[in-house]
Amino acid sequence: MKIIFFWLCLIQLLWGADATIEVVKGVARLTPLAIEDSSPQSTEMSQKFSQMLAADMNVVSMFSVDESYAMAGFDATSPAPAHKEARYLLRYRLVNDGMGGVKADVKLLQDGTPLFLKSYILKQSEMLVFLSHSVAYDINAKIGGSPIDWIKRKVLFVRLTSPRHSEIVASDYTLSYQKVILKGGIYGFAKWANREQSDLYYTSLSDFKPTIYKMNLLSGKKEKVISSDGMAVCSDVSEDSTRLLLTLAPTGQPDIYQYDLNSNTKTRITDYSGIDVNGQFMGDGSIAFVSNRFGYPNVFSTRINSNAVSQLVYQGKNNSSLSSYKNFLVYKARESTSGYGGNAFNLHLLSLNSGNIKRLTASGENDYPRFSPDGEAILYIKQEGSRSSIGLIRFGINKSFAFPLKIGRIQSIDW
Amino acid sequence: MMKNIAFLSATVAMLVLSGCSTKEPAIDATASTAGSSVGTGVNPNATTSTDSNAVIAPITNANANDTAAANGTNGSDAQLVSILFDYDKFDIREDMQAAMTKNTLLVKEKTIKLEGNCDEFGSDEYNFALGLKRANAVKTALVNSGANADSISMVSFGESNPVCLEKTQECWAKNRRVDFKLP
Repeated sequence: MKIIFFWLCLIQLLWGADATIEVVKGVARLTPLAIEDSSPQSTEMSQKFSQMLAADMNVVSMFSVDESYAMAGFDATSPAPAHKEARYLLRYRLVNDGMGGVKADVKLLQDGTPLFLKSYILKQSEMLVFLSHSVAYDINAKIGGSPIDWIKRKVLFVRLTSPRHSEIVASDYTLSYQKVILKGGIYGFAKWANREQSDLYYTSLSDFKPTIYKMNLLSGKKEKVISSDGMAVCSDVSEDSTRLLLTLAPTGQPDIYQYDLNSNTKTRITDYSGIDVNGQFMGDGSIAFVSNRFGYPNVFSTRINSNAVSQLVYQGKNNSSLSSYKNFLVYKARESTSGYGGNAFNLHLLSLNSGNIKRLTASGENDYPRFSPDGEAILYIKQEGSRSSIGLIRFGINKSFAFPLKIGRIQSIDW
Repeated sequence: MMKNIAFLSATVAMLVLSGCSTKEPAIDATASTAGSSVGTGVNPNATTSTDSNAVIAPITNANANDTAAANGTNGSDAQLVSILFDYDKFDIREDMQAAMTKNTLLVKEKTIKLEGNCDEFGSDEYNFALGLKRANAVKTALVNSGANADSISMVSFGESNPVCLEKTQECWAKNRRVDFKLP
């Protein structure tokens, strides 16, 4: 009996070791997915959509995406010959609606079995990439991936085109779609005014005094919110869209103010003779901000109607930009004190609950971090010489992506 | 005998447990689960209906042009001299004092606008605030020399108004400046 038990134990151990190896292999080798065009005719748009879906499914990061283009019948159970290795097939059928829009049918098959089937309506065919993002969102939800609500959001950025000239642009997160919302002046710090992304705030530097405007995207109507000598920036919008954190400098000193949109009143939050900027609403009701009160820019917090100020970050000597999500902060830290080239700016994630800090970027100039509204990802500006890219970091899967801007330099982003 | 039965039970249990381990990657297991519960539940009518999440709203705007556009001039007006600053600093340098004296004489009794500017390292609010503090340092010096504070306005352009676009130390030094503008 003891001999039998010995052999059974040995078999068990060997089996167990094999299972461990398979788990590692399983993680490293994602399941192959191919994308197939089932449109009535292969067109430039339908081929482009295949590339868009491939790019999005790579960001979804749950498949090994075969990016080769092929056509196949929408209801065929077997893949196109080029895709016979694929276990998952993502098929789409695009049809122009004759009014500038597109109707799309999308199907996901696993080993020939339908997992997902949905129809979409796109009212402007030039926004095709948003259709791809919506499909990626739905597929990710269907197969239980980490949340990617941010993938469907519109990104707002300010592009510097030449000295004293900039544009406010609405785009998708990959910058594939871009629509200029405002041009012809000097703008900065464009920010969505609500979760629905129907309105935005921005600073105009073309006026006699820096002025914050609110603009409705549908009508184009602009209304002045407030102006200040020197500097006026909308740094953050409360979750219910009723309060703003502004940086104003009526006497030449940049300080943080809360602006109540219901009463149109402002309350001064900080009062310091140096620099206080970049106020952010925190999950516990406090306000995080950047200040040079210790002689260098760093991250602090305070509360409304309180003079007490707490230092939040104890690492680095030049932390000059931040974004908050509940009790998490992401901030930019300068890695060297050089006034010239070769400067490195890296992003760090701080949990205020645990005090843990995690470095998110390894090298280069990484600037202007912005949490997604669900806290699942960070968007940031990556500067490489005169070229800007939008960077994306997904916490859930520990991956980052970069999407270059072809023309101009990005001043600010929001989503 | 009881001992042998216990041994046998334990080993059988171990075998059963190890036999349950799957060789499929976790992603397949998830998808398979979804398939078994959802695959048969695919609604054949779905191709003819859409839900509210499937309609992608358009981005529109009434007017892309702002008529209050800037004229795109650079540097200081007339014979006024821009005041240069060191990296990350907003105190007026010793070698800029002569320029300040000259500017003070030229702008006395006039309404002026001081434009603070920065180099290209950082587009965040802190960089804009640095430009403003530079403008404010110049304003304070002008007021201390007898200028009327109410006749001086300020704006910071951050890094968005460079006079030099090359990637050199000299160029960045030129961009860290305060320009004097006459109305």
